[in-house]
Amino acid sequence: MNTLLAVPFLVPLLGAATALVLRRFPRAQQIVSVLTLAVVVADAAVLLRRTADGTVLTSQAGAWQAPLGITIVADPLAALLLVVSSVVLLVVLLYAIGQDIGGLSRAMPQVFHPIYLVLTAGVCLSFLAGDLFNLFVGFEIMLTASYALITQAPTRARVRASMIYTVVSLTSSILFLTGIALVYALTGTVNLADIAAKLGAAPEPLRMVLALMFLVVFGIKAAIVPMHFWLPDSYPVAITRISAIFAALLTKVAVYAIIRTQTLLFGGDDISAVLLWIAIATMVVGILGALVQDDINRVMSFALVSHIGFMIFGLGVGSVAGVAGVVVYLVHHIVVQATLFLVNGLIRQYVGHTSLRAVRGLTTVSPTLALFFFLPAMSLAGLPPMSGFIAKVALFQAGVEAGGWLVHLGIAAGVLTSLLTLIAIFRIWVRGFWGTPMPDMVEARAQLRSGANRGALRFMTAMTGVMVAVGVAVAVAAGPLTDIAFTAADDLLDGTAYVEAVLGHGGAS
Amino acid sequence: MSIEPGRDTGVRPEDGGPPENWEAPRERWLSTAVRPAFGPRSVLLEVVARLLIPAILTFSVFLLVSGHDRPGGGFAGGLVASMAYVLRYIAGGRHELAAGIPMRPNGLLALGLLLACGSAAAPLLFGGPILEVFTATATLPVFGKVKFASYLVFESGVFLIVVGLVLSVVAALGARMEAEEEEAKAERLRSRARRPRPRPAEGGNP
Repeated sequence: MNTLLAVPFLVPLLGAATALVLRRFPRAQQIVSVLTLAVVVADAAVLLRRTADGTVLTSQAGAWQAPLGITIVADPLAALLLVVSSVVLLVVLLYAIGQDIGGLSRAMPQVFHPIYLVLTAGVCLSFLAGDLFNLFVGFEIMLTASYALITQAPTRARVRASMIYTVVSLTSSILFLTGIALVYALTGTVNLADIAAKLGAAPEPLRMVLALMFLVVFGIKAAIVPMHFWLPDSYPVAITRISAIFAALLTKVAVYAIIRTQTLLFGGDDISAVLLWIAIATMVVGILGALVQDDINRVMSFALVSHIGFMIFGLGVGSVAGVAGVVVYLVHHIVVQATLFLVNGLIRQYVGHTSLRAVRGLTTVSPTLALFFFLPAMSLAGLPPMSGFIAKVALFQAGVEAGGWLVHLGIAAGVLTSLLTLIAIFRIWVRGFWGTPMPDMVEARAQLRSGANRGALRFMTAMTGVMVAVGVAVAVAAGPLTDIAFTAADDLLDGTAYVEAVLGHGGAS
Repeated sequence: MSIEPGRDTGVRPEDGGPPENWEAPRERWLSTAVRPAFGPRSVLLEVVARLLIPAILTFSVFLLVSGHDRPGGGFAGGLVASMAYVLRYIAGGRHELAAGIPMRPNGLLALGLLLACGSAAAPLLFGGPILEVFTATATLPVFGKVKFASYLVFESGVFLIVVGLVLSVVAALGARMEAEEEEAKAERLRSRARRPRPRPAEGGNP
């Protein structure tokens, strides 16, 4: 039990140290990174199996009992997100290794590997943290690693983007720390379960202020409107592997933190209304931004912002079905965003950029690429057999069941956003994929395919294919996934299982 | 100018160094022949640095070992220790920084991370939770009764990480920029020497 819960963040840190020692031996470094992530995937899978029935596993670090010590907690939500995140991290790592072996990237692998593993540790620790302060530590590990990663292969644009990114993230971190201090002043504890038990006694307005404060803190990191401005400026500029991981995971870790704090600590009708308004604004503003962009990466970044709104909507509905919908949506969105950004990376590989002004006829250049773009894009828009459809239907159904004019307005905004997403994707499709390719694109393809990079390019395409397949698997496994999501939502909204597992003596061996 | 140990520095009095048969200390560190990181050389700073650095390093070790149940610990100790190296860098410039570190900052980081995570994970092997502390008490000849906690290994790891991090920041933001500036300056001088001036200057070219 203790080992199971410690592996997801300890092994990547040890791996990072080993990769740092081995920085002169690229092949050994690659093997260490892949092995590390494979161990994390396996561990996460076991955790999910153990928690799928709603069990909450805990481990008290240093044998100090909660609420005094550090508690590591895995509930179904955390375990599910761990599995999905670690799979995405592993596939993107393999994509990056393929790119490095082919010499197709200007990133510095000896720096990339250790920091990437540190980022993994931060993501995993955020999911497993049982107290607010450790959640902060997890976030900081993840963000500090991301500051270093976003400037890989530095150009003028990347350094500029990283400045915005760093300043915004640090601002939210300071607010986060202030929020923790306020909670500690109010309740005398930072343990999530303990706060949940003690916060009920606090006056209602004070709880409201704290809830809004944490919403702002995580909202900045999750890029909800109006705190979204930094994301489309920074993510698309980074190199492919980094933007894929950032788009897939970083905002979703923040959404996870919103879910955790708003269900376990706060909750109530007032905050629901705020959440619903934010959700509607995020969906509409984000997708309107996507419609006017001329760069595929930027379109995808705005679409990313807009679809964060769906998750906030489900949380705003607040019923078990709503939160279960959010969980399904999280899984779907992590996989789809990673896939789309990897595909954009392949386009960049073929064409050299992703600007729609100078891309035509990608279908002719590479039919596989077109297929790999089409499937996740349709999933993002929410067309029937794909995972996006399942997630959106789950959310809308929960909304209809809950009722209320604001919720109905949210559903209308959601349907509108899906349609506009479809239009945004068709714009990319018509302008970028149809038509006759430009002569220099054909030339670039011939050069890519004839050179020594051929194998590397094939490997990268194959890894993108694996991501597409994972996306299809999410749709195929919708039944079991929904079951786990409902278990997780039950646990989240009830909260007693979590509090008892942490504060009781279960699991501490 | 880089000073290798065991080689005559060839410093003459007109360079501002000591006179030729001056009884120079055997230690090469903070040699008077190197330039400081910023501004003109300061004798006061150099002397104070020589006096303080051993004391600072000793104090950092004291903080490290006393930190288990009193104020201090690996983080505070590491910060103090890295200040000794920063002081040396400010007084002696980037060559002093490179010469003063036992291993490269990257290596310190890696070693520290391995120690810290390894000691955090070690209790898992005995079925305990992470970071569990084992203590042992022993009576040593000079120190008397000494309590040893396995936490010290973790703290030493943190100590190394902090030192490694501060040093790599100083190396990246201070020493590398300084080196680049020096290179640019040399390049400017070279290009000026290559290209004859249209109008010969009165004072003559240096």
